[in-house]
Order: sequence, then structure tokens, then C-alpha cells
Amino acid sequence: MNDVSASLPIVDRAAVVAEPPSERPIKIAVRNLDFHYGKVHALKSVNLPIAERQVTAIIGPSGCGKSTLLRALNRIYELYPDQHATGEIAVDGENILAKGYSLSRLRRRVGMVFQKPTPFATSIRNNVGFALKFYEKLGRADMDERIESALRQAALWDEVKDRLNASALSLSGGQQQRLCIARTIAIRPEIILLDEPTSALDPIATAKIEELVHELSQSFTIVIVTHNMQQAGRVSEQTAFFHLGELIEFGPTSRIFTNPIENRTKDYITGRYG
Amino acid sequence: MAANGHTLKAFDEELEDLRSAVAEMGRLARLAIRDSMQALTTRDTELAATVVERDRHIDGLESEVERRAISIMALRAPLANDLREVVAALKISGVVERIGDYAKNIAKRVPGIENTKIAPLSLLPEMADAAASMVADALDAFAARDGAKAAMVLERDQVVDNFYNSIFRALLTFMMENPHNITPAAHLLFIAKHLERIGDHATNIAEMVYFAETGEHLPDRARGGEPGAAFAG
Repeated sequence: MNDVSASLPIVDRAAVVAEPPSERPIKIAVRNLDFHYGKVHALKSVNLPIAERQVTAIIGPSGCGKSTLLRALNRIYELYPDQHATGEIAVDGENILAKGYSLSRLRRRVGMVFQKPTPFATSIRNNVGFALKFYEKLGRADMDERIESALRQAALWDEVKDRLNASALSLSGGQQQRLCIARTIAIRPEIILLDEPTSALDPIATAKIEELVHELSQSFTIVIVTHNMQQAGRVSEQTAFFHLGELIEFGPTSRIFTNPIENRTKDYITGRYG
Repeated sequence: MAANGHTLKAFDEELEDLRSAVAEMGRLARLAIRDSMQALTTRDTELAATVVERDRHIDGLESEVERRAISIMALRAPLANDLREVVAALKISGVVERIGDYAKNIAKRVPGIENTKIAPLSLLPEMADAAASMVADALDAFAARDGAKAAMVLERDQVVDNFYNSIFRALLTFMMENPHNITPAAHLLFIAKHLERIGDHATNIAEMVYFAETGEHLPDRARGGEPGAAFAG
């Protein structure tokens, strides 16, 4: 009569790790990804399915491999001679790490926004049009339309429509970050990588970016690296927790933040880490 | 649960204070059950009045738990097991406050049966012990963060329900024998029903503790149900 505990449900850890990430099709399938900075093994056999038109948050302590994963997703690491990735990152089934895969094509499909706003020292208009000119031959009217559309999507249009020729550097930090997002989405990529996009912003600018991220996820697949647990909770549908280069746990954000399976995840998100 | 504490030590202390306040509520509620039954069996109206008076402390602690839980949620933004624990403390305090109210109501009925000799009365203290020990164990499980211990409380709800059904039958017979018995017997019936509800509330606390500790709800079959349909009101 007393041994109720014997009949209690036991969480099947293997089943949780393998739980389907979401109802959506997989946009990016990371398979057996290893990453080395010289001799440092920064990512260890990572397998991560990233769903299409959803926000996937990457969390974990410093040095866990979050930013490295973003660097692999757009192959920015290739600029450095002793950094290399092995394994597979399939975007719509095509391995972007394959030798023949053109970097220019990848840049067209994958945009990135960094921690600190990185506006070019030129006009607001030129900032947004910069990559467009490189990728597409557009007439003046079409160009203006695309710039307006990108600024509208980045929720910046109303604030800058009367001063498109002003320097981007005259904008506030939050506006500059939204400008960088406008610049990224102007070329209509499929995937947007955000590396701690609000860590340098005040709470109001942060809220605007978060609202924007939510809006953009209707059209783009978004991967966001953040140190702010509440932010991951607010903006993402799926969350992946990394620790020392390993993917520890991945699943729906609501579950990760209320009932994580792995002790390392729990200790990190509840502030018991280290 | 995690053996190591939070990096922010003050957070640990706040969680501990919250648990202490809930534990203190539980101690007072059990005391109220014990003393109200003591007052009932000895017809001690003075002790009964004390129980009624002391209920204010339980109510005050409930507000205190609410204040602390809201403060922790606002200032610490707890997650995972911490969040479940804070929410559980908030809910449990509400349930314990209800248990205190039942004990108070039992005490209030003591003057109504002052000069009556009723046989079923002998079963009530035993039933009260069974219900009070469920409350004690459910709250001990919360204090010890012990989901398995909480789950064990659930099966004991049946014992309390069985007491209730027996007392119900006995009181019914007693009332039929002599209409003069109806008033005191009705009081006793309410008291039995209150004790039965206390057992149900202890079961609810145990379920909350189990969820707070494991993140899983207990399967339905293990949950406490209503007592025998024939007498359940």
C-alpha cells in the first residue's frame, strides 16, 4: 500500500533528448558538428535541428560554444587559418560546409547581427542599400522601395523616414541595432543569426528588438545567442543549452525553463552554476 | 534536487525564509486541529475560543507568504524548480489557511454540543489524528523537498474517507433514534465533514509538493478521489 513511489512515472531521458523539436519543418540540421580553434575543441559532436520560421535560443555560460556555433552557421570562421569545422550543417538539405558551397550564396541566405551595433559610417539609406547593391541590380525606385520595406520590417521606418540621408552614426544605440537588422533583412535572407543583439541596449530598446524578433520569426528562421535567460524565455520557441562545447539539452523553451531534465541545465538557468 | 546553492546567497536565504513561513503555518494549523479536538472531547469552551482567536496568526502568515513569494518572483525571476517551489509555497499557504479555517469552525461548534453524550464522538479524535498526520507529512515533504514522501500521503486519504463514512452512518442512526439528538449530531456531522475536507486538502498539498519537486503531475489513479458516493456531500 505504501510503495506509491514505485509506480510513479519515471522521466525517460533518452526520449526527452530525442523529442521532436517542433511541428515545423527543419530548416537547419546540424549533424556531428565539431569545431576546433587550433587545438581547442570548441564544439563536440553537436546535433541540433533548427526549425523553420521559429526562434531558437542558444544559451550557456561563457566559453560553452554558443558564439562558435553561430560562427559555423555562416562560416565566418573561414577568415582565420587555424579554425575549422567538421561534420555537417544542412540548410534545406544542402551541406553548407561542403567544399563546393559558395560563400557568397551562403551570405545571401544567412544574415548576422552582432552584439554591438555595427553601422557603416555613411547614410542610413546607404547602410541598408549596401549589400543590396552587391547582390541585385535594382533601379532607383525599386531600391528605395526595398530600403523602405526593410526599414519598416525592422520597425525603424517611422523614426528615420525624414532623414534617410543623415549619418547612421547619429542614431541611438537601439536604432543603430534595428538599422543593422534592416541591413540584414534587406537582401531577404532565409536565416538570421543574432549574437546577443541587446546586450548593449537599454530595456526599452531591448523590448523593441524582442518584439521585432518575434515579428521577424513569421518570415525568417532565427537563431539567437543570449546571456539573458528571461530574454530567451520571452523570444524563443526552442532553447538549446550548451556547456563546454556540448549540447546538453534541447527542447521547447517553456519546458526548458520550467522543467529541465538535465541537472546542468537546471543549475545554469536557476543561477546555481559554478 | 540540486545540492549546491545559488551563486546569489541572498536568493537561497529568501527561499529558505519562504519555506519557513509555510512550515510555521503548517505547525499552527496542526495545533489548531489538535486543540479544537481537545476542546471538543473535553467540552472546553475556553480552549475553543483560543483556537478561534489564534486563527488570525495563520491568516497573517498567509499574507506574509504571498508578499515574499511575489517579491521573489519580481526580484529574482526564479526558473525551473525554483519557480515551481515558489508557486507551490504560494498555493500551499492558501490551502493551509483553509485548513486553519476548518479547525476554527470545529472550535466554534464546541458550545453547541456541550452537554451531549454521543457515541460516534469517540471516532472523531482518531479521524482528526489521521487527517492531521496527513497535513504534517505533506508539509514535511515540502520542507524536505521529497516528492516520494509526498506521494505516500495520497493513499491515506482513503482512511480518512472511511472514517467519515462510518461516522456519517452512526450519526444518522443516532438522529433517527431521538429527534433531540439532531442538533448536536448535525454539529458533529459538520465536524466530520471538515476533517474529511482537511484530508482532501492535505492530499492537494501533497500533489503540489510532488509537482514542485519533480515537475511531473501524479498520475490520476494515484490521486485522492471523493469519499464513498453514498455519503459524499
